[in-house]
Amino acid sequence: MLTRADLAKYPFLAEASDYVRELGFSIDEIAAPEFGPVLDRAEKRLEEALSKGQVSNDSISESTEILSFPVSNLILGLVGEERARRRFALAEAKRAYELLRQETPEKIEHIASKTFGWKLKRLDVRLVRRFYDFAVNLTDYLHNSIHLREPRWSLSNRVMDQGFVYVTREEAARLIEEEVRARILERSSKPPGEIPRQLGSRVERARGLVIKWLGVPAHYELPSVPMPEAMPPCVRHLIDSLNEGKNVQHMGRFTLASFLLNIGTGEEEIVKAFKPATDFSERMTRYQVEHIGGRRGGRTKYTCPMCTTLKTHGVCYKPDELCDTIRNPLSYYKKKSRILTNKGLKREPS
Amino acid sequence: MNPAEQLIRQKFLQYYLAHNKGFYLPPSPEEREYGFLLFKEKFMVRHRAFRDPSLLLAAIRDLVPAHIYFSTAYYQQPTAPMDEKGWKRADLVFDIDADHLDTPCKPEHDTWKCKSCGILGKGGAPKVCPKCKNDRLEEQTWLCAQCLQHAKEETSKLLEILYSDFGVDPSDTHVFFSGHRGYHVHVYSNDLGLVGEEERREIANYVLGQGLEPELHELEELKSGGTTVIEGPQIGQPGWRGRMVAGIYDVLGEEGEQVGLSAAQTRTLMAQDRDKLFGRPFWSSVKGIGLTTWKALSSKAVEKRSAKIDSVVTTDVHRLIRLPGTLNGHTGLMAMKVQKERFDEFDPFNESLAFYGNMKVRVKDSPQFELGHRQFGPYQNEEIELPSYAAMLLLCKRRAEPLG
Repeated sequence: MLTRADLAKYPFLAEASDYVRELGFSIDEIAAPEFGPVLDRAEKRLEEALSKGQVSNDSISESTEILSFPVSNLILGLVGEERARRRFALAEAKRAYELLRQETPEKIEHIASKTFGWKLKRLDVRLVRRFYDFAVNLTDYLHNSIHLREPRWSLSNRVMDQGFVYVTREEAARLIEEEVRARILERSSKPPGEIPRQLGSRVERARGLVIKWLGVPAHYELPSVPMPEAMPPCVRHLIDSLNEGKNVQHMGRFTLASFLLNIGTGEEEIVKAFKPATDFSERMTRYQVEHIGGRRGGRTKYTCPMCTTLKTHGVCYKPDELCDTIRNPLSYYKKKSRILTNKGLKREPS
Repeated sequence: MNPAEQLIRQKFLQYYLAHNKGFYLPPSPEEREYGFLLFKEKFMVRHRAFRDPSLLLAAIRDLVPAHIYFSTAYYQQPTAPMDEKGWKRADLVFDIDADHLDTPCKPEHDTWKCKSCGILGKGGAPKVCPKCKNDRLEEQTWLCAQCLQHAKEETSKLLEILYSDFGVDPSDTHVFFSGHRGYHVHVYSNDLGLVGEEERREIANYVLGQGLEPELHELEELKSGGTTVIEGPQIGQPGWRGRMVAGIYDVLGEEGEQVGLSAAQTRTLMAQDRDKLFGRPFWSSVKGIGLTTWKALSSKAVEKRSAKIDSVVTTDVHRLIRLPGTLNGHTGLMAMKVQKERFDEFDPFNESLAFYGNMKVRVKDSPQFELGHRQFGPYQNEEIELPSYAAMLLLCKRRAEPLG
């Protein structure tokens, strides 16, 4: 079914791993001169991912292409930088998507079912104007679609029949892209115990590349003093409403308390924030804040509800542009405080 | 515990002592968490588990709870604290309750009171008090045939969507009467049991038709060579597409007017055979109905055909839900499994009775109601001997006090 050219295109496939194994490729030989091109390509893959966010598809030899992918993964695992791993996984996944969308349905079906274990059926259906090539099992569909935010991916906007969701060829490729990203991320998360001597210099070089393109590891933490100006519109609105003596419903109160706790506001301060409430009871508020903070009751420390939940409960308020990029008010705060303190987002090469 | 609660508890105990058939038990009952809401101070006993159904019954006889729940989730250690339980999977559940339905009869039998400023209102409680904007509202609801009929229709719509769109096997699907104002649907599925909250939110939204945009179902305007044609789905297509188109017929009357359909246009549409008309490309065939109107009609059709579930219940993968075969402390009626084959004929006011004999009570006030094929009330400050099931309902609803 798959040719060696296919394995070069999709080196994350199970068949590609088999191919590498059959070659008897071992870490110890990695420094041998004939592996030079493989190491170079592995490094280039990383650099392309870090610099452009996309890995090219123009390698000289198929076997170099197939072999270099696990080496990139290995190096990344040894570098041990989460943000670099994420960027690499995304870049390789995008590359796969661009190639996959042009494949025949047979090949897409093979990869989806063999490598990712999807249950899917071949279709040849035109409903209004759109051609559907596949019907994907609901759980396989949802597993990937929940990461995609355009309305066309929401289940309500899909055609579903007997537990199978219709998708076009392009859409199948896009869903597989999500699988690829998750798979690569998982692979590079398990580094070997120690750095093989032969790889030492390559790993150091890769570390240099990460710093070159992603900047010095920021280890950016939330500001130690809460920054009101970095809070999302919903949270600010909750605070304003309380200050104006308006009633804030349970979900709103919970959101505010859990948000403030999670950005490191002290319990005293939080209790104070609720003081203007018309039905304020210090004892009750303190108890609830301690509960949310995990010091009472079930000992679960609560995090702030997701934006989707806040929308359902009418707590979401005048979302702004930054809101489009996040799914939880806490992420908004993290991003905004970075922007405001000039510490992040812009990652200029140094 | 007040005297009414003491009496209810005593009657519940008698019921559970006489109960020896065992309860309906969900698959893998030993992997579930059980919860009991006690009469005493509304205290919740949670994180209990039972190796054996007879131990469960013993615990129930010991605690005599007002409400008995089990988790939809299966855990490695159901008795551990929440984050150490080891979640394995959870049944896919749906809750359809009159509380969430907008039935026209609510003003006749439901009232609410604001706990903060004390004002009263009729019908279902609003989200916040219209006077003082507080959200602490107390509801007095009533058991009503019309509300339950409505809930039943929503449940039927849900089942149809589950079977045809989700491909759920009817033999894995179970319907229960909650013993109060609604129905629960439980799906035991190997596949769907493993999905998380975000996936379940998508499932809930699908059933509700929430976020559905007709243009993403290809209801669009096309311009070709100077003429504009409207294209869109047809009846008989799978999923929401066919359902949406079929539903347009249901909304032609009053709702059609709301979206600007003229009487003549409605007549033109109604005059044709539904399946014949909607089974072919028809969107451009009625003069004067443009894309905007069609979209509005389609959205109304979706609204009509969707099943009004409480999405919070479906989304929650740690939910505690009422154990069938136990008594509902709001009514004294039995929560029970309903045979799907005879769901239409199921009579919640006759088949869920749990108490026999007579009881004397003092009724403060009560609307008219029907139970066990008999009419009762309305009552106003009277002492009366009633069949126990009716007296228990009034006691549970705080509408009556024990006598003697």
